[in-house]
Amino acid sequence: MKVSTTRFGDIDVDKSRVIRMKGGMLGFEPLGKYVLLTQDEKTPFWWFQSVEDGSVAFVVINSFAIKPDYKPVISDAEANLLEIASSEDAVLFSVVTIRSDPFAVTANLRAPVMINAKKMLAKQVILVDPDYPVQYPITENSTVLEVKEKAEIIPSVLAI
Amino acid sequence: MLILTRKLGETIRIGNEIRITILDAKGRQIKVGIDAPPDVTVHREEVYQIIREQNILAAEAGCYDSTDKNLSHVWNRLKKSKEEVE
Repeated sequence: MKVSTTRFGDIDVDKSRVIRMKGGMLGFEPLGKYVLLTQDEKTPFWWFQSVEDGSVAFVVINSFAIKPDYKPVISDAEANLLEIASSEDAVLFSVVTIRSDPFAVTANLRAPVMINAKKMLAKQVILVDPDYPVQYPITENSTVLEVKEKAEIIPSVLAI
Repeated sequence: MLILTRKLGETIRIGNEIRITILDAKGRQIKVGIDAPPDVTVHREEVYQIIREQNILAAEAGCYDSTDKNLSHVWNRLKKSKEEVE
């Protein structure tokens, strides 16, 4: 299907690459379908682009890339909702807020987007643990970063 | 807003599947137990609002100028400033 995006123009998204969200992104609840886009393999950032509204896209990063000891507690109910059988099925992404000052670029560790790449299901999960900040400065904290091949993390990522 | 008065241990039912029980009350703090199906998310209002606002900010900031469409620029800027500090 063709998706007209404000940032990347028209992109062709195969149905198999569409990620269905349970409950949507908070504040964007009506939008339930997204696709992961990558621009190159050298940056750990991805775009989480809405398929239904071409103007909505989030910059996301694999949470473990910026916090290797990230150990969020996911409830059974949430895991079941995404049909996650073992932790290997789940990939966690943090929503990144880009700002002109690099030191003000933050990632949201409190509410990761959990994706079951096999089933192409996702949910923005709010963690109970208040120690994971909503604004985690990437530059200051990251010991970063081995940039893994994106297709290794999510096979259905679409290069643009 | 519908207002109901409940005693400790009493429950309110919303729809067929959501039950809210008043478990304890101490001074100004009320402990509430919630039974809801897994697809119904339950959060403290203030936490929900903070995440919501951060998402909206992130979605806007992502397109903050034309160079930011290209995430490798953002990434290089980040790496550079980190190296300068170190």
